[in-house]
Amino acid sequence: MIRNFVRAALLSTALVGTAVGGALAQETVVWWDFLGGGDGVRMKTLLEKFAAENPDIKIEATTLEWGTPFYTKLQTSAAIGEGPDISTYHLSRIPLGASTGTLSPITAEELAAAGINATDFEDANFKAGQSDGAQYGVPFDIHSVVLYYNKDKLAAAGLLGPDGLPTGLDGVDNFKAALQKLKDGGSEYGVSIHSAAGDSQWRIMYSLFGQQDGQFLTDEGFLPGDNLDKAVKATAVVADWVASGLAPSQTEYPASIALFTGGNAAMHINGVWEVPTFTDLAAKGELGFEWGAIQLPTFFDHPATWADSHAFVIPNRVGNELTPEKRAAVLRVIHWMNENSTFWATAGHIPSYKPARDNDEFRNMQPNAVYSKLAETAVFDPVSTLAGVASPLYDAMGNYLVPAVNGELDAQSATEQMRDDLNGQR
Amino acid sequence: MTAIATDDALVTLSPRRRRVIKTLDIVGLIATLVTLLGAIIWAFPLYWGLITTLKVENDIVQPGIDLWPRRFSLEAYTHVLFNTKIGTWYINSLATALGTTFLVVFIGALSGYAISQLNFPGRRILWWLILASFMIPIPALIVNHYVLMANFKLINTWMGVILPQLIAPVTVIIYKQFFDSVPKEFREAAKIDGANELQLFFRLYLPMNWGITTALAIIAFIGAWNNFLWPFLAVTKEQAMNVTVGITQVTDAFGVKYARDLGAAMLAGLPVAIMYLIFQRRVTQAIMLTAGIKG
Amino acid sequence: MAVSDASGATTGVARKSSRYNWSEVIVAALFVLPFIVVYGVIFVWPTIQMVWLSLHNAPLIGPGKWVGFDNYVKLFKDRLFSVAFWNTAYFVLLTVVPSTILGLLIALGINRLKGWAQSAILACFFIPHILPVSVVFRIWGWMFDSQFGILQYPIEAITGDHLPVFRTLPLFMPTVAWITIWWGVGFNILLFIAGLRNISPEIYEASELDGATRWQQFSRITWPLIWPVTVLVLTIQLILQFKIFDQVYLFGNGGRVDATMTLVQMIFRNAFQKNMGGYGATVAVVLFAIIVIFSVLQYQLLRARGGEK
Repeated sequence: MIRNFVRAALLSTALVGTAVGGALAQETVVWWDFLGGGDGVRMKTLLEKFAAENPDIKIEATTLEWGTPFYTKLQTSAAIGEGPDISTYHLSRIPLGASTGTLSPITAEELAAAGINATDFEDANFKAGQSDGAQYGVPFDIHSVVLYYNKDKLAAAGLLGPDGLPTGLDGVDNFKAALQKLKDGGSEYGVSIHSAAGDSQWRIMYSLFGQQDGQFLTDEGFLPGDNLDKAVKATAVVADWVASGLAPSQTEYPASIALFTGGNAAMHINGVWEVPTFTDLAAKGELGFEWGAIQLPTFFDHPATWADSHAFVIPNRVGNELTPEKRAAVLRVIHWMNENSTFWATAGHIPSYKPARDNDEFRNMQPNAVYSKLAETAVFDPVSTLAGVASPLYDAMGNYLVPAVNGELDAQSATEQMRDDLNGQR
Repeated sequence: MTAIATDDALVTLSPRRRRVIKTLDIVGLIATLVTLLGAIIWAFPLYWGLITTLKVENDIVQPGIDLWPRRFSLEAYTHVLFNTKIGTWYINSLATALGTTFLVVFIGALSGYAISQLNFPGRRILWWLILASFMIPIPALIVNHYVLMANFKLINTWMGVILPQLIAPVTVIIYKQFFDSVPKEFREAAKIDGANELQLFFRLYLPMNWGITTALAIIAFIGAWNNFLWPFLAVTKEQAMNVTVGITQVTDAFGVKYARDLGAAMLAGLPVAIMYLIFQRRVTQAIMLTAGIKG
Repeated sequence: MAVSDASGATTGVARKSSRYNWSEVIVAALFVLPFIVVYGVIFVWPTIQMVWLSLHNAPLIGPGKWVGFDNYVKLFKDRLFSVAFWNTAYFVLLTVVPSTILGLLIALGINRLKGWAQSAILACFFIPHILPVSVVFRIWGWMFDSQFGILQYPIEAITGDHLPVFRTLPLFMPTVAWITIWWGVGFNILLFIAGLRNISPEIYEASELDGATRWQQFSRITWPLIWPVTVLVLTIQLILQFKIFDQVYLFGNGGRVDATMTLVQMIFRNAFQKNMGGYGATVAVVLFAIIVIFSVLQYQLLRARGGEK
């Protein structure tokens, strides 16, 4: 006991400038996330609030580049005991992360001690944090892609219904006709997409694939039977927009946003995480038009939208394991974040933590309220060590889907090559 | 300087020859103009990058080419300075670059001296090995350097960034050549005065070759400051990153951020650019030397 | 530290002696020790370990199973390996000779100038060389930015549309090669200028008097005399460009990474991104062998050709 106290005291004095609380020993939690843009701003606010309410835990936060760079760094640092104490993670990647030994399992006792109850989450959502029966991640939100639109432009093209929401966009042909109308109405593009980004094209393609009840991965492998045709059909839709000049070709993430905010594109497909970007621009009066966001239109049989979840994990630290005290502190951070995740919803996301959704603040939040019903028909990434953010599957999207969307490969052969490549890695 | 015809030569030539040279000089003029044009092409991206950082983000994405900012703004720089850990990255870059420089030069000078001035078994083999190491592809060793540094618990430390950068056979080669050319009489005289090898090295050979030492140090520093691959791999924590890695790996904001990204880049390149402008002659001399050409 | 200071006759390496002065040997050992240690720990040991690791099915960190030459068999069947090899070779082709020729031409141009004009022009060509690769990446990423890059104006004038050069496969390598040349040609220029300065002006003056044309002067005087420098530049560039990683990684990140893969990048991807240390080491061994073989061959070949002239 005394030894522990001395050690803690030494630790806190060693961390110069951190011991604000005075006598209380402070637990330092090293935090990594990949949250940029509006997400990052919202998370910064949450972290500040956490610091104010929890003087005994000091969070040292770092934001690294999203995607492959982030997950590569996390994986290599975990292997040598140099990782952070807590990290954001995508639930889609949990099987892959568990298989590479990047993640440390969290026991039921630890969860209970921190007050994290499975019953506070949707069952499927919570279970997506598991791999081989062990819990690796605690869900934080559910996020998806939506269709952002420029109200002024849609109104001018007669695409706004009496309720003020876009109308007449369902169906492949209707949507294309609408894009054409918007283009004819003076927009450079009908819709801006980041056509150069594999991850983003996956989200769109997988949504359209889900609208046809496609199964991306079964026991037989990737895209068996007519699932291939469904994927080809989904791919061809977007490729057609690009080929017809209705969507920009080979466009990077920031440029595709700039096309929308600059008024060059009337609509924009992107993740809900860009909601704060537009909210903040509009609040500063820099947007120059009224904007809104709706669930992706139904192109095929029924509504369906790709979705994934941000989660919190405790990365492995081989040879430099976390003390039980630190793990407890990390879990307290996780639980606190969930308890305060109504605010996180202002970043466009849907909180995973049910109590954070069951209040009027969330129910009336705009534009979330308009599109949050998409959660009911969400389709999640295949559960596999080959899937998830920065996985072989995501690589394959960059290598095959992106050229298909941009007309460098035809949709049929690109999808076949992608299927064969992925099956070759099983 | 090897101008084709100097003015003096022109005067002494016969009129016929003169005419030939006059026509040739038109070719020369064109060559000069082309060179000038090339220089402008080469310098323009630097100018354009720099001038963009002084603009307002929203002006940057407006159509049209503004060679001069419509509105001046230092927002890009203030943002980078206050919202990223660029200060820490600078310190890391400085520490690892200086550490690498010092060790490379010191180790190179010591062994260059031994090979040049001392007689010991294995001298020839060592010299041969050093000459052959010229072609070592260091990037092929990244995997095992990483494993090694992980075993030493040096990942995310300055030492872990420095150590794998210490293979610099060229330094040894150059020192050896320069020490070889120090007249033997100096050595004899110092020895008669009772100097030992350490004193000879520090009081005679190093001071007599300060020029080459500074030249090598500048080259080593620029090389270490600019190194990307190894610091990129050896560091996984933001606070241990070098500035060249940090500006590409840490994202602070999405949205429109061209000026900010470029501003961070300008700050990262500033020390070496300033160093070059101050030590211009030394740098050029150093590069010529390291390539084994005495300019 | 004991030194043989009594007799001045024992100093200097020129002396022929089968015997060693042991106190001198000890001093020498201490002087070369740091280098030997570094060389052993940072080069020899990791190289042995690299070969050893390539014979195992191992993660980046931690033990693995002995698999003999399975990794090599797998490598030579790996479609990505041939992609990475040809991409690397293509990049070498696009950079080594062009940047050497360009370096020589610019050096000839600069060498005609004098004084501050020479320094200023040289600085324009040389400053890019001293910049970190991430700075080069940002500057050219901005120049070529598919929506707002200044180079999109001429590109649009020619092709009628914006062109995302880093996401258009056939343009990727040539563009990155051009940026690499922009970045590195200053180094070549310096070496050539040094070489040109070593050519005595009298040779040119004498040839003037003999009525040699400018082309004759170049082909009969400058070119043969600058040939050793050319060999040197070519060799340095070859070794350098074979190790291409930084630019291709930074510009290619997020795009069709398989299609733009180079050899060092393949090491990085397997060992670090996919946690397959053994396989990554296998690529490394092959790259190591390629570079050593190529540089020896090229140096010998070019030196021989130069000797004939």
